[in-house]
Amino acid sequence: MPVRESVSKVHVESPAPRKPTEHKTIIWALTNSAIGVAAFLITCVGLHAILPFPEIDGGVSQKFRFFAAHKDEFDTLFIGSSRIYFQISPAIFDRVTRESGLPTHSFNFGIGGMYLPESAYLLEQILNLKPRNLKWVFIEYDELQTKWSPENQTSRRALYWADWKRVSLLLRKLSDAGTAPLWLPNPAKLRDIMLRQKKEKNTRSLLTFYAGQLEKNYTNVARAADIPDHFLSRDTKERRASYLGAASDGYVTRPNRMSAGQAAAYERGLADAMAQAGTRRLSPYTVEAYRQCAQEVRNIGVAPIFLITPSMTQINIATESVGVPGVVMAFNNPRDYPSLYRSSVRRDGQHLTKSGAEEFTRIVAANFVELARAGEIK
Amino acid sequence: MSFVEFRFLWFFLAVFIVYWTMRNNAARKVWLLLCSYCFYAAWNWKFTFLVLGSTTVDYIVGQMLGRSERPAWRRFWIATSVCVNLGVLAFFKYFNFFVSSASGFLAWLGLPASVNTLNIILPVGISFYTFHSMSYTIDVYRGKQRPISNFVDLSLFVSFFPPLVAGPIVRAVYFLPQLVSAKKFSNVDVRGAVMLFLAGFIKKACIADGVAPTVDRYFAHPADFTAASAWIGVLFYAIQIYCDFSGYTDMAIAAARLLGYQLPNNFQFPYLARNVSDFWRRWHISLSSWLRDYLYIPLGGNRGSRGFAYRNVMITMLLGGLWHGAAWTFVIWGALHGTALLIHREWTRFTEGLKWAARGMRWFAWPITIYAVCVAWILFRAHDLGSAGTILKQFVLFRGGGNEHFHRWFLLLIGGLALIHWLNSRRWFAESWRQWPAPVFAAAYGCTFAVVLLFVPPHYTPFIYFQF
Repeated sequence: MPVRESVSKVHVESPAPRKPTEHKTIIWALTNSAIGVAAFLITCVGLHAILPFPEIDGGVSQKFRFFAAHKDEFDTLFIGSSRIYFQISPAIFDRVTRESGLPTHSFNFGIGGMYLPESAYLLEQILNLKPRNLKWVFIEYDELQTKWSPENQTSRRALYWADWKRVSLLLRKLSDAGTAPLWLPNPAKLRDIMLRQKKEKNTRSLLTFYAGQLEKNYTNVARAADIPDHFLSRDTKERRASYLGAASDGYVTRPNRMSAGQAAAYERGLADAMAQAGTRRLSPYTVEAYRQCAQEVRNIGVAPIFLITPSMTQINIATESVGVPGVVMAFNNPRDYPSLYRSSVRRDGQHLTKSGAEEFTRIVAANFVELARAGEIK
Repeated sequence: MSFVEFRFLWFFLAVFIVYWTMRNNAARKVWLLLCSYCFYAAWNWKFTFLVLGSTTVDYIVGQMLGRSERPAWRRFWIATSVCVNLGVLAFFKYFNFFVSSASGFLAWLGLPASVNTLNIILPVGISFYTFHSMSYTIDVYRGKQRPISNFVDLSLFVSFFPPLVAGPIVRAVYFLPQLVSAKKFSNVDVRGAVMLFLAGFIKKACIADGVAPTVDRYFAHPADFTAASAWIGVLFYAIQIYCDFSGYTDMAIAAARLLGYQLPNNFQFPYLARNVSDFWRRWHISLSSWLRDYLYIPLGGNRGSRGFAYRNVMITMLLGGLWHGAAWTFVIWGALHGTALLIHREWTRFTEGLKWAARGMRWFAWPITIYAVCVAWILFRAHDLGSAGTILKQFVLFRGGGNEHFHRWFLLLIGGLALIHWLNSRRWFAESWRQWPAPVFAAAYGCTFAVVLLFVPPHYTPFIYFQF
C-alpha cells in the first residue's frame, strides 16, 4: 500500500471515544456518593433543628405545650411515670408548702409509662425551654428501663427520645459495657448475646431495636405529620383537660379502689416484697443517667430531688449510699410509711387511690419543707 | 432484614464495597453467595439448610440429566426434582391446610375425624426460591440450559439475595449466563439503579405502609363500616398490595443492578390494564410467565378443543391462587381470575369484527377490569370466607351495616395516586434527571431521601409477599 494512501486513511478515521477507566469511574462514583451522603446528613440535621416538638400520645405533647406556654409560672416540677402522674397533687403540695411558710407553684409532668430514659429526655427538653422561676425538680427514681413491649415498639412514643445520650446508655447497659468513656463490652456477655444464650435471648433484638430507633430519630422518620399538627392543633378542651386535669396542673385523679380479692392478693404480695426491702441497688447506668439529669438541672440553677414513690416494685430499691448526686426522698419502706401501704388507699400494687395520693402528696410536701429548712435542699 | 430497614443499608453497603473491590469473578461470586446466605439467615439461620438442600438436589439432578440419554431416566430425574421441590413446598406451606381441609370435608360427610396439625414455621420466600430452582432442572430437561458443573454458580442463582424472598422469579436461562464474565463497574447504570431504589422505597415505605393501618382496620372488622368506607378500604388495599410488591421488586432489581446483574421486570402498570389477560401480562409478570411456560403449556395450552384449553386456564389459575397461600380464599381468588380470563376470551370471540363493541369497550374496558381486579382482591385479603362475603356485600351490593367511616379526603389520596400512576406510565417523571451533572444529581438525591423519610411511618410493616 502506498505511504500517501495509508496516511490519508489515518486522517480520515475519527478517533474512538475514550472510555473512562474502571479506576476513574469508581473514584468519580465515590466522590458523588460522598456528596449525596453529605447532602442527606445536612438535610436531616437541618430538618431535625426546625421541626416542632413531635406529637406524642399519652399526654406528652399536651403537657409539653402547656408547660412551654406557662413555663415561667412554675417553680416546682414533678416528672416521672404514672406513679407521679396520679399520685402527686400540685394543689395540695402548694397548699402544704404555703402553710409551712415556703410557698411553691408546682406542675405535675407525670406521664403514664414514662420511665428512664424517656423521662430524662423530656426533662432535658423542658430545661431547654429555660423556665426562669424554676427552683426544684422532683425526678422519679427507678431503674433504667431497657425493655419495651413489642406492641409499644412500633409507636412514636418509643422513638422521639432516642437520641445518642439515651441510646448509648441503653446499649451500654444491654452489652454491659460500663460507663467509662471507652466502651468495653463484656466478652462473655457479648457471646451470650450473639448466641442468644442464658438471659440474653432477646438482647440482640433489643440492641437492634434501639440502634434502629436512634437512626430513625436522627433521620426524622415519620415527622411529616408534626408540621400540620403544629399549625392546626387538633387538641380539644376535653382532650387537654383529660391530661392536664381540672386544675391544669398536670394532676389527674384515679379514684377506684381494689376489690376484696385484689386487696387480699395485694397484702400477700406486700408481705413478700417487704422480705426483700432495700436489697436492689440501681445499676451504674441508671446512676449515670441520674447524674446527667442532675447536672443539666443544676446547670440552670435548679435543685434536683429524687423521689421514690410508695409502690410494691420500689420496696426493694436500696437508698443508702447509691451515688446519686442529689437528695433522695424515699417512701418505699412500708414500715416507715404504713399509711401509704394500706390496701384501703391503694388502687393496685403500683398506685394509690385519690385519698392515698393526697396523703402521699402531703407527706412529700412536709418532707420537702423539712429538708429545705434543714438546708439539704437549696 | 428488609430493604426498607436501616440495617439493610449497612448490609448492602458492605456487600457493595467488598464486591467491587474484588477483581476475581470467582471470588466475587463466593462473596455474593456468602452474603446471600447471611441475608437469609437474618430471618432464621436454620432454613438456610433448606435452601442449600434444594440447591444440592437440583445440582445433582442437573448433572444426572446431563449424563442420561435414555428418556426414561431423564423422566425419572426430572420427576425427582419436581417431587422434592414441590414436596418441601407442600410440607411447609400446605400441610396444615390440607389436613384441616380434609378434616372439614370428613366432618361435612358426617365422619368427624380427630386430626392434628403441626406447628410449622413457613420459611420466608420458599415459593420463590423453589420456583427459581425448579426452572433450572426443567430447562436442563428440556435442553434449553446446559447442566452447571460449578456448584457455586447454581447456589448463587438460587439464593441471590435481592430476589430471594419475594421475587421476581428468576429463571436459570436468564441468570446463569450473567455469571460467566466479571462485571465492570463502568457498565453499571448507577443513576438509574438508585432512582429505581428510591421509587421502590417510596412505594413501599411511604405509600404501602402509610395506607396499611387503614386497610388493617377495615379488614379486621368490615361489618362495622359503611359501604363508602368499604370502597375506600378495598381500593386502599389494591394500592397497598401493588406498592408493597412492586416496591420490593423495584428495590430488588436496583440492588441487583448495582452489583452488575439484571433481573426481569415484574410489573408494567397493571392497574392500567384494559382486560384481565392484559392485567396478567402486567402483574407479577415473572410468576404469570413461569406458570404459562412450566404449567399451562405443558398441560396443553391452547391446543385441542376450547373446553380443553379452558380447563388448562382454570387449572393454572387455581394453582396460581394456591401458590399465594394455603387458604381457600386464595383458591377462590385464582378461580375468579380464571373465570374472568375465560369470560374475556369468550367476549373477544363473540365481538370479533363488531365495531360497536370495540367502541363501547374503549370507555368501559378499564373500569370493568379494575372493578373485577378489586373484587378479586377482597378474596385475597379477607381473613376468611365469612368476612369476604360481608365485604363483597358492601363493595358489590352497596349494603353496609356499620356506622364507622373513613375521612373523605382518602378519596382524594386515591385519585392523586391514580393520577401519578397514569402520569408515570406516560413517562412524565422519567429520565429528566439523567441530564443533570453527577454532583448535582447526588446532592438532590441525598436531600430527597432525607425528605422522603419524613413520610415513612415509625413502624416497619413486613412485605406482604414475604408470607407467600
